[in-house]
Amino acid sequence: MAAAAKSVFEPDYGDVDRGVLSVMAPPGIRYWLWVGFLAALVLVGGATWTNQVYRGLGVTGLTQPTMWAVYITNFVFWVGIAHSGTLISAILYLFRTRWRTAVYRCAETMTVFAVTTAGLFPIVHLGRPWFFYFLAPYPNERSLQPDFRSPLVWDFFAISTYLTISSLFLFMGLIPDLANAREASSGWRRKFYGLLSLGWHGTDEQWRNFSMAYLLMAGLATPLVLSVHSVVSFDFAMAQLPGWHSTIFPPYFVAGAIFSGCAMVLTLIIPLRKIMGVENLVTAWHLDNLAKIILLTSLIMSYSYACESFLVWYAKDPIELETFYMRYYGPQGWIFWLMIFCNCVIPLLLFSPRVRRSMVTLFIISLFVNVGMWSERFVIVEGSLAASFEPSQWRYWHASFTEVTITVASFGWFLMWFSLFARFMPIVSMTELKEGLGWLRQAIRDSYSRAA
Amino acid sequence: MNGELELLASFAEERQAAGAVAALRRAQADDIRVFAPIPSEHVEEAFERRKSRVRLWVLLGGIAGALSGLAITIGTSLEWNLVAGGKPIVSLPPYIIITFEMMVLLGGISGVLGFFFHSRLPALESQRGFNSRFAQDHFGVLVRCAASDGDRLEGLLREAGALAVERVGAAAA
Repeated sequence: MAAAAKSVFEPDYGDVDRGVLSVMAPPGIRYWLWVGFLAALVLVGGATWTNQVYRGLGVTGLTQPTMWAVYITNFVFWVGIAHSGTLISAILYLFRTRWRTAVYRCAETMTVFAVTTAGLFPIVHLGRPWFFYFLAPYPNERSLQPDFRSPLVWDFFAISTYLTISSLFLFMGLIPDLANAREASSGWRRKFYGLLSLGWHGTDEQWRNFSMAYLLMAGLATPLVLSVHSVVSFDFAMAQLPGWHSTIFPPYFVAGAIFSGCAMVLTLIIPLRKIMGVENLVTAWHLDNLAKIILLTSLIMSYSYACESFLVWYAKDPIELETFYMRYYGPQGWIFWLMIFCNCVIPLLLFSPRVRRSMVTLFIISLFVNVGMWSERFVIVEGSLAASFEPSQWRYWHASFTEVTITVASFGWFLMWFSLFARFMPIVSMTELKEGLGWLRQAIRDSYSRAA
Repeated sequence: MNGELELLASFAEERQAAGAVAALRRAQADDIRVFAPIPSEHVEEAFERRKSRVRLWVLLGGIAGALSGLAITIGTSLEWNLVAGGKPIVSLPPYIIITFEMMVLLGGISGVLGFFFHSRLPALESQRGFNSRFAQDHFGVLVRCAASDGDRLEGLLREAGALAVERVGAAAA
């Protein structure tokens, strides 16, 4: 027993540094092949988009009445993915949640790249993308200005603010870790990290200002994250369209965003911790807690789906009833049931602690949730447009090569930036792991005793 | 010898470094700098300083953002005064959203700028007394004092648990 207790890994500050900095060692050929593959996907997507710009939106499956389909689905999906990053980094920071330390950098990074990916889609969706700046107010000779009563303009401001604040928040948290990387490296890497760390030396004065700025940024990011997905939901809820015009959309969208984002964190971090050998720093305890958030938000989502359907049934509006009937039993009804299966049924497995602690099962569940949440966005965006007021006008969207390719390329784009960041930047926060070293040791002791 | 010197002590534990700061302050040594790999509430408490002025930057940035959000929405609506949906030209409820976003945006940017300003970042030169280990696993306490106090303060630092105390060199008067 004593011998078993001695063999338990008890990390100290040095172990944390070595563990995280080893991830940033020069990568091998397999890593570059992976990044090359993702870059190739991006290039194919870029070429397809160029073709779309040249030939017009006729190359897509967009047609009346489904003028919003996969591109806007992707936009809402990626904005949703972004949200858990801020939840984990800002909201859980304010609550001083212990388990966030190992996963929050990964989640924050995911946030920044997911918002960047999301921001591409409104532009991809434009027939004349070079006029995207029309949404911004700027002085012009005709005194023409955007309509600030339009949810699309709110969206422009919300997403731009969210991208800026989440990037600043990520960068601020990185500064002490970059200084650490600077001190541990040599050659061009030392110069590179030295430049990015801005000459940070960790003096008491710097930490004092850092702590205050970080706390206030977390305080600002918390209402921001709740507002951004509410604003995204207003894109739909403000329209007088059956399936969109609903008052439950803001909380429903926010819960869905946290649900999908936490699942994406698991999808990214489970292979990452294995490949990069940081299983002792990102432990089963951290992921177990993340899985509990997924379970909770899944239950909120199930309630929201039930509530949405109940409101339609209770209101007895014939057009809305018809729209929802088509949503469940129409030609694309299988997507709705896939959504229910992935978002409401599969996550129930997470009630089992054994499932929450099995990395393979957790990874598979996270993939199901990603599929389910993409389906949900599609059902809302496309399904409501396809079967609304006039049955004579009903028409469903059909997949086109252009949209499918650009959708796949968006995953390539996101994963490419994430992979580059994960290899060259500290993807786990050394500073916060050291701050919560006692909790990390406890988590490791727990996992050892469970294994025994 | 010009009458002043600097002592640099390194500690393995955060609480020891905080204890050293408290002891130095009790001994009337006020020119103290701590290097730490993590933010430390104990060290912060030992210094007994007022809270960071970054708060003020965020507050002013937030107010400026909210006002600019109102100015943009109301100003551009009055410039392009087209009635849409029978609603007033200046419709305040939807403008609150833009006002809120601008408040967060400028408050956040201003907070980061305030952090840089008060932390003197970016810094082109290395801080005197800084050692690589202070970014990794050790805490450093640098104190400037009169040469005549050197032995007494070194004793205090060792009492607080310093692993090593070195005299960095004669400081400029």
